[in-house]
Amino acid sequence: MKLLLVEDDRETGAYLKRALAEAGHTVDLAANGRDGLLLAAGEPYDVVILDRMLPQIDGLAILRTIRTSKVKTPVLLLTAMGGIDDRVEGLEAGADDYLVKPFAFAELLARVNALARRPPPQDVQTTLRIADLEMNLLTRQVSRAGERVDLQPREFQLLEYLMRNAGRVVTRTMMLESVWDFHFDPKTNIVETHMSRLRGKIARGAGAELIHTVRGAGYCLREP
Amino acid sequence: MRRLFRSSSLRVAAFYTAAFALSVVALGVITLLSARAALGRQFESRILSESTSLTREYQTEGLTGVIDAVRERDTTPGALDYGLQSPTGAAIAGKLATARAPAGWSVVDTPKKYGGAEANRVYVSPLAGGYRLLVGDDADRVEALDKVLIRSFLLAFLGVIVLGVAGGYGLSRGVHRRLASINGTAEAIIDGDLTRRVPVRGGDDDLDRLAITLNRMLDRISGLMDNVKQVSTDIAHDLRTPLTRLRQKLEAQVGHGEASESALTDLDAILGTFAALLRISQIESGARRAAFRATDLTTTAATVVEAFAPSAEDAGCSLRLEAGEPVVIEGDPELLTQMLANLVENALRHGGAGVAVRVVCSRKGGAATVAVIDNGSGVPPQDRERLFDRFFRLEASRSTPGAGLGLSLVAAVVKLHDAEVSLHDAAPGLEARVVFPGRPEWNIGAFQS
Repeated sequence: MKLLLVEDDRETGAYLKRALAEAGHTVDLAANGRDGLLLAAGEPYDVVILDRMLPQIDGLAILRTIRTSKVKTPVLLLTAMGGIDDRVEGLEAGADDYLVKPFAFAELLARVNALARRPPPQDVQTTLRIADLEMNLLTRQVSRAGERVDLQPREFQLLEYLMRNAGRVVTRTMMLESVWDFHFDPKTNIVETHMSRLRGKIARGAGAELIHTVRGAGYCLREP
Repeated sequence: MRRLFRSSSLRVAAFYTAAFALSVVALGVITLLSARAALGRQFESRILSESTSLTREYQTEGLTGVIDAVRERDTTPGALDYGLQSPTGAAIAGKLATARAPAGWSVVDTPKKYGGAEANRVYVSPLAGGYRLLVGDDADRVEALDKVLIRSFLLAFLGVIVLGVAGGYGLSRGVHRRLASINGTAEAIIDGDLTRRVPVRGGDDDLDRLAITLNRMLDRISGLMDNVKQVSTDIAHDLRTPLTRLRQKLEAQVGHGEASESALTDLDAILGTFAALLRISQIESGARRAAFRATDLTTTAATVVEAFAPSAEDAGCSLRLEAGEPVVIEGDPELLTQMLANLVENALRHGGAGVAVRVVCSRKGGAATVAVIDNGSGVPPQDRERLFDRFFRLEASRSTPGAGLGLSLVAAVVKLHDAEVSLHDAAPGLEARVVFPGRPEWNIGAFQS
């Protein structure tokens, strides 16, 4: 994928660029807001990773400018830590996701991947299918190898999120945000517990393991 | 309207109106008394001077002269009443007639001369030869004047009351409107909109000067708040760059030894504490109040209970919700969720093995209550208040991970919502109770439709 990284700290920028390149992406690095704006508005990228606080032109200003000029590239905003209003402000300005600094690289990578391959919104799906696992979004029924799997509403949501992101790593915080709408970090291992229950229900009736744990990152639902 | 009648300006106007009305009454009474005295004197002196002149007539012209004079006066309109009696008491001339009255002043019944005149004030002068001269006047005329005076003063009194009430109402409406705009500005600022200012009319009156002073004060306060915000943003920015670098270096080392992995865990704990502190101070600044909206505590509690219940069960504990109707309050759903999550986590972690935790939502009158009740080991009474202090941890919980900020965040969220949090002995266990005060606009059901 072709990524644009707008980051003013040279050391961080270099580290992220290298790590993203190692993960198989092509990365353009802009060290200030002006360069970032010119590149984001002029070049086609799959995802823009934008730091909120930048010299010359602020990250939010860049975001508003490119959104006004109808640039629809997905933008991941890197915000200050502890900023509880930053997320709302960022999303209102047109960001697609946000990440609080400092972050684990695995978290950034997972979010970039999730942003890039979003299915086009006009494509209305009624059934999600991975291997022999099938989810009907209208009847809200799930079956594994033709056998019905009974899920709690929240487990259904969790599985739907995993299936929509099939083949990609989904982190704990991504699940907390999208499934529970929790924008804080609980000390309890609630994601792990729900995941283990979901796994138990999906695995019943044998078949290959579909939900995989990615060490230090999160989970991934993929074809065996 | 009811507020208007409780306004201080209207009270002042009412006080002045009452004072003026009292003065009018006092003035009226004094005027009436002195007018009555003066009229009485005039009334008597007229009768006396007529008596004197007729007595003189008798002395110079004799009986016939007096009779002529009395008859002549009787035909003159507006004149007094006269009577001349023979020594036997028979009336010789004039309309006044009486049984033998003593000399001097007396009240005499006469044949009706005027419409309702019955009791006349009469002065009886004895003349030489046993004749008696009676001169009198209708005392009702004085009383009629009294009535005119009283009526005029009553009218003036009513005028003062009407003018006073109308003027006071108009005056206090004007003052009330301006005070209401100052009040509205203050309320908006309390609700988090620091950009609002009190409108100034430009008339340089006392209220304008007050408005200008208030606006200067607000400028100063918002300047200070901006400084604080800038400082914390700067700290956050200046620290996060080196911390980001540090985290990246450790991350790059992971896999090359145990030490880097545990250093990374420690760093994340520090970052978590730091983020929590920044979050608490941001909540305390009150800026979040602008994001308040109708929020159902029952739904929020259900989400939290549902999220934590599986982990609680796996740990051998239990967690359940006790709620029926929606309990809607005005608040920030994200912060309320975190508040409840912290309380539930706290109960599960510190309640001891096998603790049963209940989350109860209820509404009593206007006030909404959410309580997290456990049957665990509880907290000694002397430690309960300090639980909300930053970094405070009970001796017993020192061994468990955490920085002691969970309940400080709860306290900050509670304060932002003008609510009260209190800890009670659940015998056994602990009850953490958050009470959101009722507001008049929160009538039950308004948000349910």
